[in-house]
Amino acid sequence: MQNETIKQAPLLEARNLTKVYEDGVKALDNLQLTVHPGEIFAMLGGNGAGKTTTINIFLDFIQPTSGNAFINGIDANSDPLEAKKNVAFVSENVQLYPNFTAMQNVDFFVRLGGKSQYKRSDYEDALVRVGLQREAFDKKLKDFSKGMRQKCGIAIAILKDAPAILLDEPTSGLDPKAGKEFTRLVGDLRDEGKAILMSTHDIFRAKEISDHVGILNAGVLVARKTNAELKGVNLEELYVEYMAGYMEEVGEPSALINNLS
Amino acid sequence: MLSILIQKELKNILLSPKFFATFLVCSILILISIFIGINEYNNSVLQYQTNQQIAQQDIEQATGWMQVRNLLHREPTPMQIFVSGLHFDVGRVSGISSFDDVKLVRSPYSDETLFAIFRFIDFAFIVQVVLSLFAILFTYDAINGERENGTLKLAFSNPVSRVQYLFSKFAGTWLGLIIPLLIPIMIGLLLVIVFGVPVSESDWIRIIGLIGLSILYVTFFIGIGLFISSVTRKSSLSFLLLLVIWISGVLILPRMGVMAAGQIVDIESVAQIEAKQEAFERERWESYSASLSEIWGEREQEMEGMTEEERRAYRDEKEWEWLEVDDAARKQVQSDIIENNRTLLEESQNRKKVQEQLAFNLARISPVSSFRLAAMNLAGTDIDMKSRYEESMRQYKDEFTKFTERKQAESGNSGGFRIEVDSNEGVKLDFGRNDQTLDTSDMPRYSAPVVQAGTSFGNSILDFGLLIVFIIATFGGSFFAFLRYDMR
Ligand SMILES: Nc1ncnc2c1ncn2[C@@H]1O[C@H](COP(=O)(O)OP(=O)(O)O)[C@@H](O)[C@H]1O
Ligand SMILES: [Mg+2]
Repeated sequence: MQNETIKQAPLLEARNLTKVYEDGVKALDNLQLTVHPGEIFAMLGGNGAGKTTTINIFLDFIQPTSGNAFINGIDANSDPLEAKKNVAFVSENVQLYPNFTAMQNVDFFVRLGGKSQYKRSDYEDALVRVGLQREAFDKKLKDFSKGMRQKCGIAIAILKDAPAILLDEPTSGLDPKAGKEFTRLVGDLRDEGKAILMSTHDIFRAKEISDHVGILNAGVLVARKTNAELKGVNLEELYVEYMAGYMEEVGEPSALINNLS
Repeated sequence: MLSILIQKELKNILLSPKFFATFLVCSILILISIFIGINEYNNSVLQYQTNQQIAQQDIEQATGWMQVRNLLHREPTPMQIFVSGLHFDVGRVSGISSFDDVKLVRSPYSDETLFAIFRFIDFAFIVQVVLSLFAILFTYDAINGERENGTLKLAFSNPVSRVQYLFSKFAGTWLGLIIPLLIPIMIGLLLVIVFGVPVSESDWIRIIGLIGLSILYVTFFIGIGLFISSVTRKSSLSFLLLLVIWISGVLILPRMGVMAAGQIVDIESVAQIEAKQEAFERERWESYSASLSEIWGEREQEMEGMTEEERRAYRDEKEWEWLEVDDAARKQVQSDIIENNRTLLEESQNRKKVQEQLAFNLARISPVSSFRLAAMNLAGTDIDMKSRYEESMRQYKDEFTKFTERKQAESGNSGGFRIEVDSNEGVKLDFGRNDQTLDTSDMPRYSAPVVQAGTSFGNSILDFGLLIVFIIATFGGSFFAFLRYDMR
């Protein structure tokens, strides 16, 4: 499901990306990655591995210490306004305006994303597609659960219709059913030709849909596997091998696995 | 892009409970204040007219031109409805006669002390205190609140420029505050028209200036709110900081400026000045009587060796000459005293002016002082109102006393009175006049000092300018801070 598009130019590219924070923490160390149209790249890593830092650099929220991040060939940190036309973003905790309804929020953010041609029915279609109940369309966001907010977030990303999508742990904190639905949606978007960079610490979900999985540990991309390479791999071993730091924080791998599967 | 952002800001504000509260509070306060202001104005006009009539009657019924005393009243102005300024604190009436010093006494507050306790609420007060507070409530979390909510990140994952974003924050909040300011004041002005308050063309210009000034003032507070919100990460911190800024700017600094000026420039109290005047007076009269006895000694010497007969003849011959000499000396003393009183008063007034200017300039650290001073200047209820009135009343007094002296001379009546003690009728006072009233038809009329609207604007130009400078500074600061703001 991946290889035919690989010859195209990458839509997302991190080139020698290094970030050292003011306090001396090296969050990224010479990161290299590319995401082509029709690909999902899963950045796998524990807390503090540098996933959010990577995405923040793509969105120009922070400047890299060295190296570049390109979106559709545009340097995200030297021409952020141009670069951001080509990317949609869903954070791990989508936050919208609590006083606005779902519709109003979607309308605002989509138009901010440069799409003003939509009608209400288009918004409705997108919200239906992400699985938001119709009764919620005109409810104020302050009454929404986290899952409902994530759905609005992905709906906004879908409507923005940018060639690249950045997802920062989009399923963390969702119940398994919601997480599964979300993953299916991301897969659909990939099939539509989007280039998707998704950070997650959920290896099972990553394995399920990703074309590439990169394991990030303390800012270093320690392993890179294609979906095919992941097929026969023992998941527990992979954890032990590459995410030792993360395990110490989270606890027993088995407990985690039981939790997720 | 900009219009999308502004629309959203405006929508967000219009939908928020704080907008509703602001609108409600502003409408109620502004309308009530104008309504009460109109009533208060009408009352003071009525009182003014009655007092003028009484004063007129009193003159007509005076015993003679020498006893005539006019009472001049400060004329109410429709502008006091919006900016009462010092209207309630400055006296309303001064006696005008050769034996009265011009001095406005009996201020509205001294007559109705109850209202002095909490003072009247006028439009300027509402803007100064209430709207500035609302401006802070609208802006304290404008930037850092969106960061805390996470909406800032989502918004800036789109091709949004920071300058446009901040500008839309400003524009949205600005409209959200100006609407609750303008709608009630428009209705209020309608009330003013409906109630028939005689607002002159110049007053309308002043009112427009006042509204413009209020908008500038509110804009400043939006600016400072945006600035603090974009140099802090947490809205709880920015709220606290802004509250401190508001309290010091609105309540503390203006007073501190005035108090400091009071400490720096010493002003003699009225009692001190009077003591000086009295000392001078005593000293002059003493030296006068000393010189008088000296003169008389000389005169005695001149007559030395004369017989009693000769002396009498000499005295009779010299009587008028001597009398004139003595009288001239006495008049000299009197005019010296008047001159001295005048200089002392002038000196103290000049020092007062110096103190006043220093006080204002110190207070102007806070733009709130600029707003207040400019508002009072525009309305004509400023600190100079008192001196303006007293100045014009002094001029009138000169005219008036000249007039009464002339009348006195024409009527050829000494102005004195005779007391007769009659065993049947008891004590009888005879003022030597028939029961005719005095003819006041050609008495000089007093007209209140007129300040052109242009002059008022001229007087407030410094404060307008300062407000604009403060606004530019806060906006410059906000943009500078927001361009470097960490969105995460
Ligand atoms: N603003 C910051 N200042 C200093 N260190 C930071 C900052 N943000 C993140 N870090 C550090 O950088 C590392 C990577 O963080 P992050 O990219 O958020 O990890 P992840 O998203 O993978 O959990 C962590 O060690 C974190 O403590
Ligand atoms: Mg993260």
